[in-house]
Amino acid sequence: MSVIRVMVVDDSFFSRTLIAETLRSGGCEVVGESDSFDSLLETYNNCKPDIVTMDIVMPGADGFECSRALLLNDPSAKIILVSSMKDEETEAEAKRIGIAGYVQKPVDGELLINVIKNILSPDALYEQLIELGLDIFNEALAQNITRMTKTPISFVTMDTFETKYVSQGITTVIGIIGRHSGSMIMDLSIEAADKMVEVLLRRPSKNREEVLAMVAELANIVAGVACSMLNKKDKTYSLRVSPPSVFYSTNTEIISPNLKMQASYAQTTFGPIFLGIGFKKGAASWI
Amino acid sequence: MDIKIINPLIASFTEILPQIGFQSAEKQSISLVGSTLNYDGVLVHISLVGILKGAIIIGMSLDSAKHFASKMMMGMTVAEFDSLAQSAISEMGNMVCANACTQFSKAGISGLDISPPLLLIGRNGQATLPVPQTIAINFLVDNIEVKVYVGLIQVKS
Repeated sequence: MSVIRVMVVDDSFFSRTLIAETLRSGGCEVVGESDSFDSLLETYNNCKPDIVTMDIVMPGADGFECSRALLLNDPSAKIILVSSMKDEETEAEAKRIGIAGYVQKPVDGELLINVIKNILSPDALYEQLIELGLDIFNEALAQNITRMTKTPISFVTMDTFETKYVSQGITTVIGIIGRHSGSMIMDLSIEAADKMVEVLLRRPSKNREEVLAMVAELANIVAGVACSMLNKKDKTYSLRVSPPSVFYSTNTEIISPNLKMQASYAQTTFGPIFLGIGFKKGAASWI
Repeated sequence: MDIKIINPLIASFTEILPQIGFQSAEKQSISLVGSTLNYDGVLVHISLVGILKGAIIIGMSLDSAKHFASKMMMGMTVAEFDSLAQSAISEMGNMVCANACTQFSKAGISGLDISPPLLLIGRNGQATLPVPQTIAINFLVDNIEVKVYVGLIQVKS
């Protein structure tokens, strides 16, 4: 990608300077600055930026009015609100107008640059997620198995799981929400889970509930750790996980009709653990 | 769990089903089933995250699922619960839960998000939802029995 050209709109000289410095440090070029509605369109049309950062509270016309004027002038204009205000009503209004993103002041430089990049090339982040996703979930599972049970683990990547997977006995499903929503499936046999409980608790399991609770907790930790790792790679993923639902039955078929899943088998001393991950593409660039 | 939590979901279910080929979607009964429920047939599982967290499951027998998918496909014969029928049922789950988020928002609970649907098909299975209590709502949709399980908890924001 060539150098990203940005225009900064803010009534505060200090804020403009700070945002401009942040953008330059992130490798962007600041091609124009405007402090009010009066100079807005002229500056925009002269510098033709790739993206505009827009303050909300300004004397005279506010950031919403300025954004409407910019979008009327150029419907393809890409605008990010950069404001200390961030509440549901303000976000809803911004979305209605057609503003592409939102970053709160004080500006986190890395976040602002990532939001800009994501707006300008919306597929790049998804492609990174698909490339890294399964490996990171595998890593999270490996970390937890080796830390908790002090036993080795290795992975065999499966062909993409497109049609169905037949459960070994216990299936945990965790929903993932964020820039790209998705699902994690973890599946293992009751025997494998039993053996794992015995190592963890240093005694045999008392009942099936205890075993299912351990599996749910393991899946919960794996999904939480993996999503944190992905969020560290790029804050704009903003991934969050749902609590786990656990299904117990032999031969239950698990099907993901609308979501292509990537999958691997973890080889452990307790038995194989199936891990399936899928994310929806989506088009949100909203942060 | 406050029983009122299911009202947006009931509103969504009764609003969406007539839009996808059904004449009626009537609520028959509501019960509390704890965190564990038995299943036999098809489940659509969708997670929900936000001020409310947990899962919504829509369940029906395999024959009912075929019948249901057939209705959604304007009466097309569904002899096997194949990928087209699976996709139809899972899309219904997606539409109902997405609309439920809108209904929750109207009731003042905004910012909820749902995961993509997963289908589970099994016999004599047991599902444990991540909540102390699940509310089961029995619907009769054009004479097809459908169970909706709501396992949600309110999270302190």
